[in-house]
Amino acid sequence: MEPVSRRHFLVGSTAGLAGILATRVPPARGQVREVSYLCWNNFAPASDKKMAEIGQRFTKDTGIKLKIDHISHMGPQQSKYASEVQTQAGHDLVEMRMHFPWLYEPQLVDVSDVVAGLEKQYGKALSSSYEGAHVNGVWRAVPQYHGMFVAAYREDLFKKASLKVPDTWEELYTVGKELKKMGNPVGIPISQNYDSISTAGPVLWSFGGMEVDKDGKTVKINSPATAQTIEWYKKMFKDCMEPEVLSWSDASNNESLQQGKAGWIHNPVSAYIIAKQKKLVTADGINHHRSLGGPSGRHETDTPRHIGIWKFSKNVEPAKEWIKYLIGNKANYDEYIMAGDAFNLPAYEKLADHPVLRTDAKYAALRGEGVQYHTYGWPAPPSDKVQLITNTYLLPNMIAKAVTGTSTKDAMAWAESEMKKILAG
Amino acid sequence: MAVASRPLLTKLTKHLLLVPFLVFALFPFYHMTITSLKQDRELYDRNAVPLVIKQGPTLEHYSKLLWDTEFLTWTKNSLMVTALATFVSVVIGTIAAYALARLKFFGVAAFGTGIFVTYLVPTSLLFLPLAQVVNWIGLADSKWALVLTYPTFLVPFCTWLLIGYFRTVPKEIEECAMVDGATRIQALWSIVLPIAVPGLICAALFAFTLSWNEFIYALTFTSSSDQITASVGVTTELIRGDIYFWGSLMAGAVLGSVPIVVLYVFFLDYYVSGLTQGAIK
Amino acid sequence: MAVRADELAVTRSRPGVLGRLRVWLDREPVLGPVLVTPALLLLLLLVAYPFVMALYFALSNSFIGRPSEFIGIRNFVKLWDSDVFRQTFQNAFVFTGIAVIFKIVLGICLALLLNEQLWLKRLIRGAVLLPWVIPTALSTLGWWWMFNSLYSVVNWTGIALGIMSPPGPNWLGQAYYAMAAVITVNVWRGLPFFAITILAGLVAIPKELYEAAEADGAGANARFWHITLPLLKPVLAVVVLFSTIFTFSDFNIVYVLTHGGPINSTHLFATLSRQIGIDTGRLGEGAAISLYLFPLLAFVVWVQLRFVRKQQF
Repeated sequence: MEPVSRRHFLVGSTAGLAGILATRVPPARGQVREVSYLCWNNFAPASDKKMAEIGQRFTKDTGIKLKIDHISHMGPQQSKYASEVQTQAGHDLVEMRMHFPWLYEPQLVDVSDVVAGLEKQYGKALSSSYEGAHVNGVWRAVPQYHGMFVAAYREDLFKKASLKVPDTWEELYTVGKELKKMGNPVGIPISQNYDSISTAGPVLWSFGGMEVDKDGKTVKINSPATAQTIEWYKKMFKDCMEPEVLSWSDASNNESLQQGKAGWIHNPVSAYIIAKQKKLVTADGINHHRSLGGPSGRHETDTPRHIGIWKFSKNVEPAKEWIKYLIGNKANYDEYIMAGDAFNLPAYEKLADHPVLRTDAKYAALRGEGVQYHTYGWPAPPSDKVQLITNTYLLPNMIAKAVTGTSTKDAMAWAESEMKKILAG
Repeated sequence: MAVASRPLLTKLTKHLLLVPFLVFALFPFYHMTITSLKQDRELYDRNAVPLVIKQGPTLEHYSKLLWDTEFLTWTKNSLMVTALATFVSVVIGTIAAYALARLKFFGVAAFGTGIFVTYLVPTSLLFLPLAQVVNWIGLADSKWALVLTYPTFLVPFCTWLLIGYFRTVPKEIEECAMVDGATRIQALWSIVLPIAVPGLICAALFAFTLSWNEFIYALTFTSSSDQITASVGVTTELIRGDIYFWGSLMAGAVLGSVPIVVLYVFFLDYYVSGLTQGAIK
Repeated sequence: MAVRADELAVTRSRPGVLGRLRVWLDREPVLGPVLVTPALLLLLLLVAYPFVMALYFALSNSFIGRPSEFIGIRNFVKLWDSDVFRQTFQNAFVFTGIAVIFKIVLGICLALLLNEQLWLKRLIRGAVLLPWVIPTALSTLGWWWMFNSLYSVVNWTGIALGIMSPPGPNWLGQAYYAMAAVITVNVWRGLPFFAITILAGLVAIPKELYEAAEADGAGANARFWHITLPLLKPVLAVVVLFSTIFTFSDFNIVYVLTHGGPINSTHLFATLSRQIGIDTGRLGEGAAISLYLFPLLAFVVWVQLRFVRKQQF
């Protein structure tokens, strides 16, 4: 191994470093109209490709250059946002998932004007989008689309065993017992992942319970409704599910349904779509039905996504133009939604019954008649303290404790004290 | 029992004792490789045997990885960043190690201890203020940021290793040369370094591995798909929401470790002897 | 490879700035700092400065994107009240303690074996190094697939071999099993480093010592405990030091396999810090979690280095 001549190395690297620094000097403001957009790697790759296409048309039509970067959602996404906020530099537009606008509120531009324009065209934004993106009286992000949870089940197995499609959580228990006997148990995760919260929430809400009240200050987890929820989970865990649900990740319930084990799961349509794409044997037997209800109504988890603009961006106006082009232009918006295969649905009322729902008969249940959609922590506004409650998985952990032996009373008391500590701190 | 067969029996026993270790080390790798060659149909079949491919192997995961994603670009980035970071770290580590091993000057002991303290600060915390520093220097969203920041966790270990290694080079050789008129720098360059080549290779291999595996700095300091490294790219592209493209992910794992293994097998003897000299002195 | 005397003579006779520079650089008090400066600069700018900032985060109520104020050690004190944090504290010690002990014991065994005259030596050593070489982000995904409750190859093999009854343990869903699983992955990944480093130490032990002991009638056991182990101490000390630090601050394994669960039973400092600091924006608390062990680790480092230094001189 010939050592590099030291002089050559020094000269080369100094010149190199100077060159690098030179090229990083940003262009003078106003010279080039350019915006950059960071969004997640959409579960439907086709919709990412479509967005890139629309982006190119945008550049042609307006002369504004658009750079779209993707990132894995949850985890990497938050690290990235944290560092962009910390350094006050990065992308102009960022995808805001669910209640992120509350977390990053001081850093997001007020986009109420853009939303007002869109609402005039398409009707009001959905309540879950409003919950997530409308912070303290101001729209901090523009609702883009949403993907809600729904019940996915093996219709063929149900038919074979003449099981009734459940409409309430209680009915799910009745049906679930049979399913487990058939070897196709219900699959609801009870672990430290977001899918667990996405199911525990609706069950709790349907029984009339809540974690924190809508004043955002009062912990209401210790209540008869919660006790009912825990009892329901206990009997589900014993009679309708298998202990493996305690170890599940966000992907596990999809995979359990896809490879033929689970008979019923609670998930967005991603499970079915992938089964269809990969031509798995179970694909034909999967169908969806409307979200389940309880004594206090029919509640469901929704994951709305919005587009926000960082305050430190030097291209706020061009950024707004991109949003208006993608969402405000109906032809573009329709194209974009169609590319998402019903995983991305429009976030505005008048578009709720979108043609994409008719591309496959199995999407009928996504119309969600009579269902109320919420984001995590409802009815409390998702302040950062409430988000900490969500992010520490207090709700699933409380249930996990209860199904593995802790008494319902003790589990609730634990959850209550932890939540109180978080709200107090 | 014949005396002649005793050594053979002992040798066999020793090899047999190695088997559990080899199984433990290689089994996951074997499983990852099998997974990357299985068809989706078999991957998602819960009644399938996980250890063998029954329904015929497929290269579709590899082709999806190589042609449908920018895997080749990411690998190129990884290689470039790793090679440069390794080179920079070994150079800086070498000169620092020489100074700490041979020379007496103000603060030598403090510095020697100080470089270890850098390992106590976890990168999962450091990345955030470091992002600010990187941004001030003007290297945001660039793989050059990685070349700049990777040495922070590579230099300390390289330095420690090379200090030990330099100490094993007999002082007399250098002193001879200096009596003959060479300066210290010349002595270092022409005498000590050639003898220490195994130690240098060892430090380089260690640095290469750590750089290649690094994730969080790569994630934070690069965004554009033409700047990101292999492990960031693979996990970003192939984990979409709650969908994991297992076949291609495992293909990424296999392809992401092959170059390093090749490197290691080549230089392994140097590596072991490098640590021999460095670690114990 | 020595420099020829006439070349040196040529060098010496070159006068002028360059010559004087060479002479100046030749003085130890000058050369030393000069050679050390690049490393020093690198570490000052890119480690010390960010570390001070991280320290500031920990001592303030820092939140992502919001102005912050100094609050002293309140974060550290408040953390101790949290059930989750206390559990994490315990987890970290259990995880690190067990993992490092396994790595020491197995590392020594493996190193002893690798030290022998083996067939296919290069291949075996290469194979043993493989776990350390695979990118961590991807190998942990591989392990997730292996422990996956639906397709677990670990369970399948166990059942096939008859040592487990179906369906096999719920590895990542039960508290103790989950900890065992993450420790296993950590040992899998860290064992090569231990083995190869200890091997290097073994190779350096002079054969004469063994021969002399054997001549004196010492058995293999005695040779190991009275010769091998004592002479390995310096190597072991440094390897254990590095490994302890890296294991305490491990992030990837727990994050990918269990996200800290079930019920926080596998949370480590790094994963909890990420959950609270980055995911929820509370940088102050996140930094405090990460730095909680800093004084302890600094002390451990200091003690170890003094011990190692003593052996060296």
